[in-house]
Amino acid sequence: MTATIALLGQPNSGKSTLFNALTGLRQHVGNWPGKTVEKKEGSFTHNGNTYNVADLPGSYSMSANSDEEVITRDFIASGKADVVCILADSSQLERSLFMLADYAGISAPCFLVLNMEDVAREQGKFIDAEAIEKKLGIPVMMFSATDTKAYDKFYATLKRALRERSQINVSALESEYEKIGGYNEIKEQLSDNSVPGYTPMWLTVKYLENDTVVSAKLKNELPKDKMRKIESLSVNSEGAVATGECKFAWIDEILDGAVNGRKEKTSLGKLDRIFTHRIWGKPAVVLTVILGLLASFIPALPVMGIGSLIDMLKNVAAEGLISAGCPDFIRGLICDVIIQSMSYVVKMLGFVFGVTLVFGMLEEVGIMARISYVFDNTMGKLGLQGKSVMPFLVSFGCTMGGAAGARVIDNWGQKVLTIALAWAVPCGAAWSIIPMLSTVFFGAAAPIVIVAILLVMLLHMWITAKIFSRGLVKTEDRYGMIMELPPYHKPKWGSLMRYVLGRTKDTFFRVTKVVLLVCVIFWLLSYAGSSDGNSILYNIGIAIEPVTKFFGLPWQLFLAFIASSVGKEGAVGVISALYTGGSYSAAFSDAMSGGGVAANLNEILLANVSRPEALAFIFAITFNLPCVVALAATYQEIHSVKWTAKIALYYTVTALLLACAAYHIGLLIW
Amino acid sequence: MKLGELKENSEAVVSGISGDARFVGRITSIGLTPGCHISIVKNDKNRPVLLYSRDTMIAVNRKECEGIEVTEVRA
Ligand SMILES: Nc1nc2c(ncn2[C@@H]2O[C@H](COP(=O)(O)OP(=O)(O)OP(=O)(O)O)[C@@H](O)[C@H]2O)c(=O)[nH]1
Repeated sequence: MTATIALLGQPNSGKSTLFNALTGLRQHVGNWPGKTVEKKEGSFTHNGNTYNVADLPGSYSMSANSDEEVITRDFIASGKADVVCILADSSQLERSLFMLADYAGISAPCFLVLNMEDVAREQGKFIDAEAIEKKLGIPVMMFSATDTKAYDKFYATLKRALRERSQINVSALESEYEKIGGYNEIKEQLSDNSVPGYTPMWLTVKYLENDTVVSAKLKNELPKDKMRKIESLSVNSEGAVATGECKFAWIDEILDGAVNGRKEKTSLGKLDRIFTHRIWGKPAVVLTVILGLLASFIPALPVMGIGSLIDMLKNVAAEGLISAGCPDFIRGLICDVIIQSMSYVVKMLGFVFGVTLVFGMLEEVGIMARISYVFDNTMGKLGLQGKSVMPFLVSFGCTMGGAAGARVIDNWGQKVLTIALAWAVPCGAAWSIIPMLSTVFFGAAAPIVIVAILLVMLLHMWITAKIFSRGLVKTEDRYGMIMELPPYHKPKWGSLMRYVLGRTKDTFFRVTKVVLLVCVIFWLLSYAGSSDGNSILYNIGIAIEPVTKFFGLPWQLFLAFIASSVGKEGAVGVISALYTGGSYSAAFSDAMSGGGVAANLNEILLANVSRPEALAFIFAITFNLPCVVALAATYQEIHSVKWTAKIALYYTVTALLLACAAYHIGLLIW
Repeated sequence: MKLGELKENSEAVVSGISGDARFVGRITSIGLTPGCHISIVKNDKNRPVLLYSRDTMIAVNRKECEGIEVTEVRA
């Protein structure tokens, strides 16, 4: 037998924990067709039966406030799921049953899992699942998603739910709704199959809540006269207040007599008093992120070491291929493209692994929500959420880590905007070059250059936010924060590890494709065959030098700028090779792996490059797109070729404009 | 009075919610409906208001607080 189950629940109800525990590594992250919303699917077998699991995106309700919620609704109504598993948090039962109340009236069969049984017990709450089940008419169970021993019970309830295929008993809820003016009149116009998958009660309630998707559907499906009757009833723009009251009244009724225990106290814990402190909150949050970033290097380093080994393999392979008489072109393709890309990807995976682990843990423990709280106001000015501060800080180390860290931002537009801004933060590789180049050219004035770069970074982020937010963050999405600060949880290493490994595996496949593609293109463009000087890139560089010179970049520097889009470490190597007249294409591929800097680099640079040109070059590479791997990581997070390309193009152009400005300012000074 | 005007440690009952359908939907789905009891945990300038309601700690941005009308109750 094969069955499909869909998981539905408010944030922090334990949905991811359950999904990961059920599917383990048999999960797959993709996109919902035509949408940028992440689609998480997986499968497992139990007693010879196969179950497909869909982790439905969504937030607090079944309304049409976001793409996620609409997708979730459509998926459930389509009947693709045999049963819907609704999760609620036993420790905040009243509030978290809102999802169930909002679901009531959808035709797909469901069952209710009251998760966090252990937390509720600790709070001294006693919940009578059987009493709740009697009132609801669907299977109800107490559960702890983090307790591996509890899963037999889950499988048993799942089986029962699939057998019974029961729907929520809505009669008590409906009598609440009937008190709302206009409810009966609207419902009279609807029939059971007005819109397949939904009952007239549910449709009426959504109509009263001004749900635009539902009213559009009704307009399509209903005969004109019926629709006219519905429209003639004036609907209050705050209809959701009244229906919300009904839902909670119903929830109270369901829980009446089924829950007892003491009420929780309301004071902040010690840690929260620091994190939410008016003065110390921000430093505490920044310090936490920086410590997290440093900690993420610990699991990352061994994997990065493997990446370096692959890099060494390149030379061995090259020698082997040469002695075997392999054509130069093939050797280049194998060594400089394939092995090189793999080395990049593996090094990067180390970092993605570390960042996902550490920041996944901060999210799980509940610290991420505090970060949101503290920076909500500041980031709100850029059209972002408080959480966005975290990717920015991480990007000082590595942009790709920042992109991976942006995963915790739940609004897609804000996630893209966050990553787009994080690119403006100079990464570790840039910091390894800027001070060196600045010192060579500007001596004691080097710190001024660095300060200038930081100021330009802030300006860049501000302007970029203005430009990009228009297309990305709709004004109606510019909510300030309305969110729960969940209680702290101990991290559950097992499920966290499964999540991180799954993510890393996914990243590997997606990113490898992008990196290979970009590296092949670069390599082809820079491939010069046996005689130097006829690569496409070289010819383009020479041809457009009159233009690039205006930006302060002679062709050598311009090519180094282009190379810096693959990896910033390589840029210096390329200059060094080009000015010493060494084999240019070899230099290019060497440079991409970060090697090949001439010993007398300082003299070479000073002899060939003027100070304004140097200034232009420093700004050009600092604010160029960070590297090919960051590009791939960005694509992996935002799932949109269009936006990835837009951001990349934008950065190339702005880097050149900044270089131009720096050059002409430099000309005025020197 | 508005939610944002409540002092730290005060207790109140939500008396009304106003705004567009999306705002109202978000506020009710997190558990704030007319008649529900709240206590203010923290209310610092330039920070969201932290409140406790239905067993949950909730942070509400200052601007969104404008749409939430409350009546203070004396403990
Ligand atoms: N003590 C306890 N903790 C749990 C239980 N289930 C989940 N958690 C923890 O609760 C936190 C939130 O769980 P998630 O699985 O991330 O919740 P979610 O519903 O996926 O939340 P979002 O990712 O925000 O949608 C994590 O720290 C879990 O480890 C449980 O039964 N008992």
